Amino acid sequence: MSPAGEGTTRRTILSRTILTGTAAASFMASTRLGWAASKVEPVSMIINQSPWLDSIRKLVDLYEKETGNRIDVDVEPFAGSLEKQRNSVRSKQGTDDLLIMNSGWFAEMYFGGFVEPIHDIDPGFKLDPELYTLGDTIYFDARNKTMTPRGKLMALPFAPIIPMLYYRGDLYKQAGLKAPDTFAELEANARRFHKPPGMYGIVQRGARGPHTVAFDFYPYLYGFGGSIFKDQPAGDYAVTLNSEAGRVALDYYIRLAREAGHPKTSTFDQAEVLQNFVSGRAAHVLTVIAAWSQMDDADKSAIVDKAEFAPPPHAPGLPTAPGLGHFVAGVAKNVPDGRKRAAVEFLRWFQTRDTQVALAKAGGMPVHAAAYRDPIAEERRFRWMKPLAAALPKAVNIYQFPEANEVIVILELGLNRAIASETGSVAALNTMAGQIYEVMAKYNYKTARLAPLT
Amino acid sequence: MATSLRRQGDEPAWRWLTSAPAFALMLALGVLPLLNLLAMSFANVAWSNGAATWSFVGLANFRAVAVDPLFRAGIVNTTIFAILAVAGQMALGFVLALLSSRVRHGRIVYRTVFILPILLPGIVIGAIWKLIYNYDFGLITQLLAAFGLEPIDWLGQPTMALVSVILVDIWHWTPFCFLLLLAGIESLPQDVYEAAEVDGVSWWQELVHITLPMMWPTIAVTAAFRLVLAFKVFDEVYLLTGGGPGTATEVVSFTIYQRFFTEDRVGLGSAMSVAVILVVGALLALALAARRRAAPA
Amino acid sequence: MSVRRAAIGTHATLIVAALVILVPTVWVIGAGFRTQISLISGAIAFKPNLASFSQVLWSRGSDFVLNFRNSFVVAILSTAICLAAGTLGAWSMHRMGWPRWVPHLFLGWTMVFQMLPPVALAGAWFTMARGAGLDDTLAGLVLAHATLNLPMALWLMGNFVRDVPRELVEAACIDGASTPMLLRRIVLPLLAPGLAATGVLLFVFSWNEFAVALNLTSKHTATIPVGIAKYAQGFEVQYTQMAASSALSIIPAVLLLLIGQRYIVKGLTAGAVK
Repeated sequence: MSPAGEGTTRRTILSRTILTGTAAASFMASTRLGWAASKVEPVSMIINQSPWLDSIRKLVDLYEKETGNRIDVDVEPFAGSLEKQRNSVRSKQGTDDLLIMNSGWFAEMYFGGFVEPIHDIDPGFKLDPELYTLGDTIYFDARNKTMTPRGKLMALPFAPIIPMLYYRGDLYKQAGLKAPDTFAELEANARRFHKPPGMYGIVQRGARGPHTVAFDFYPYLYGFGGSIFKDQPAGDYAVTLNSEAGRVALDYYIRLAREAGHPKTSTFDQAEVLQNFVSGRAAHVLTVIAAWSQMDDADKSAIVDKAEFAPPPHAPGLPTAPGLGHFVAGVAKNVPDGRKRAAVEFLRWFQTRDTQVALAKAGGMPVHAAAYRDPIAEERRFRWMKPLAAALPKAVNIYQFPEANEVIVILELGLNRAIASETGSVAALNTMAGQIYEVMAKYNYKTARLAPLT
Repeated sequence: MATSLRRQGDEPAWRWLTSAPAFALMLALGVLPLLNLLAMSFANVAWSNGAATWSFVGLANFRAVAVDPLFRAGIVNTTIFAILAVAGQMALGFVLALLSSRVRHGRIVYRTVFILPILLPGIVIGAIWKLIYNYDFGLITQLLAAFGLEPIDWLGQPTMALVSVILVDIWHWTPFCFLLLLAGIESLPQDVYEAAEVDGVSWWQELVHITLPMMWPTIAVTAAFRLVLAFKVFDEVYLLTGGGPGTATEVVSFTIYQRFFTEDRVGLGSAMSVAVILVVGALLALALAARRRAAPA
Repeated sequence: MSVRRAAIGTHATLIVAALVILVPTVWVIGAGFRTQISLISGAIAFKPNLASFSQVLWSRGSDFVLNFRNSFVVAILSTAICLAAGTLGAWSMHRMGWPRWVPHLFLGWTMVFQMLPPVALAGAWFTMARGAGLDDTLAGLVLAHATLNLPMALWLMGNFVRDVPRELVEAACIDGASTPMLLRRIVLPLLAPGLAATGVLLFVFSWNEFAVALNLTSKHTATIPVGIAKYAQGFEVQYTQMAASSALSIIPAVLLLLIGQRYIVKGLTAGAVK
């Protein structure tokens, strides 16, 4: 427990004792105190715009109605949310209490000491055992600088965003196929439906962006048994990107693009990928589950009721390996204690099974395994729930360290070049691995590199 | 006469009073960010336990800037981009300003239309043009198809991608030049033109010997300002190409954004900003010197 | 005959240019009336609907009306402050006999300031505003925008100020005009075209400024670009809402131009006669 946290707790206990002592009937007083504690201070939550934001708004309404507590939701553009969270946590006194942090920046917030561990605010907080821990990213072990359950509970899972395979159920039915399980099946099916320019077997991202082509490549890399680092939870950052599995994965990704994909893959971002799929010009796409809600919306989609979902394919004998692009909710350190406790109150309510079922009904993506067993998961419009539940326990956290953005920019450029045929896959992998090694060495992580691929 | 002039126009009190608001704003809000930037360019800033630790690193950030592959690509691309885009905007802006200052009918309509593109927020320009350039469904593809022409791969090839970005910038920013050049033309003294008309001067002679020489200061200021803004181009390119393919459309403001904001390496990002200020300053100084040398001849 | 042909040629050129500008602009505005699927699948014909506009204006998650009000306040006030400070400052720098190093240093410094990257500026200004209690207020953003655009005002107005004929100023001084009188009676009318052009640019720059506005505002003080960015830079681009909000956002400036220009043109003709 940090010194500040200890002080806080002691102060709280002290003030309660004094209050209890001055009250005439101690029993009455403690009940009244208990009641007073549940009427908590308003909390300001900062969150980014997203397709699932509406479900969070509905949930906040429900919380306010049930408890009488208030949550002010500050909605920002995606990159703007990080900008404003940084502003807030770096001030003397923060403006935002509850931070909704993306996988792109929670490591920075944990390492920088900007997030108050939940048990330092409320030692009695009990984490629901059926929550998905999403690569254990809700924990942080400050001493070893790793994210494992040995560390402290820093945040709760908030939105379980991972890439999933979207495929055209109608085409599959006509052809008498079942959802592809392995990469070989995906390739065979993509080739089968590939009739350009009216229909592409698969449409993938290939453009350079903030976290674009690299994010789409992770399920392939890890699904073929490759990785970027040897063993992050153990603190081993030896660069393994240019392994044989890495080469197989990149060659596969490029082969799909060339022989069963879109000729302009190297310029495609998520907008173009979805554009092709919802306009009925792609048989498969692998993209974040957050996009599920547009599929059956007639204003946004020409393939209403035709999209089906499956966990990302994998090599035989290996598990599916979607890379995490999720959100967690943590409490800022530099806000008044009362607001911290109020934020924890909301989190305590948020993690319950009932809340999570309500979240699903509101169109959100639950983080609680029981919500996926609820009868609504059988409904046609929620047909993504079961595949998502199957994939979530296998989700991989790609980065556990705050300098990850320096690695991502290397991957974005190298992968884009390989897909645009500016370089070969072997050269691209060797170059990227070398550059990543330099980054890790610069920040004194325990690292090493493989012999270059030939 | 001279004494009264000095008393009225150069009176120190009025000299200070008239410049006070500008001084005050620039001092109060302008100095600190720049000093902060300068200080950061010689430091590394790290955060732990919620507090920042500054460590002085000498010229290390500047050495890192010099070998940063993205920055080097960015400087080259941005220079090409800025020069071509500003040249295009100035030429088009001047022609449109000249022509629309001459028409009798529809002046206001033309002017309003020609200003439209800068009214659109920069953050939507990239997203809009990505749709317009779209290879499968884009507006241009469809217009070409209507004439039986093949679609053009605007964003896929390195050279073409840079050209596409420059075209968008010209579309977006020509109004800036148009507006200022038009105001410049309208401020020109009419008696010179009346005299020229009496002398039967051709329109070409009028342009080369009267309009252009009198317009030089306006042209120079407009071009200099556009050049500085072009070096800061961000929004349009960000959503359009993200700097790709490869580093074909990487511009310096991206690299600065990436290093300064995304990677939170404020020292390196600040050093890049200082380097860009020096490069643009040198470009402007060169242009100024060239004009000075040209002026006596 | 040749005069008429020249006039036709002029109009033809202007109309082509207008089309190049109008086609994409109208297409964007039109996109606000479409469904997303009709837009992204590239259908030319579409059945217009107002869903995106009503979503932008009235849906619960949208603060567009509030954003609009905030943008209006910020753009008007910051333009007024900036234009006043810039015009007076430009007159002072160029025409009031400062030692030569003063205008060189000050104008050079404003140009350096103009080159600062928005990310660096926005972060530093947030810290300053928070220290002064001006974060999350419109006043803070007004001052920030006035400063941000001041270099442009100083340089552009400086250019127009230098064209004011010295003889006129001298004549006024001989007549015993004080500095304020000289500025109001002689200088300002001569600067009208420059003031109008610069004013329009300042207004538009403030109206569309995003990076600083994002950092200095929150829910209740956010301006239009911050609102639009939610559609343009979110998880997915919401094209039709983005187009609808952009279409709404250009209305004030278009009105300003249409009404303002009639006025400016009138002022000009008056000036020319004189």
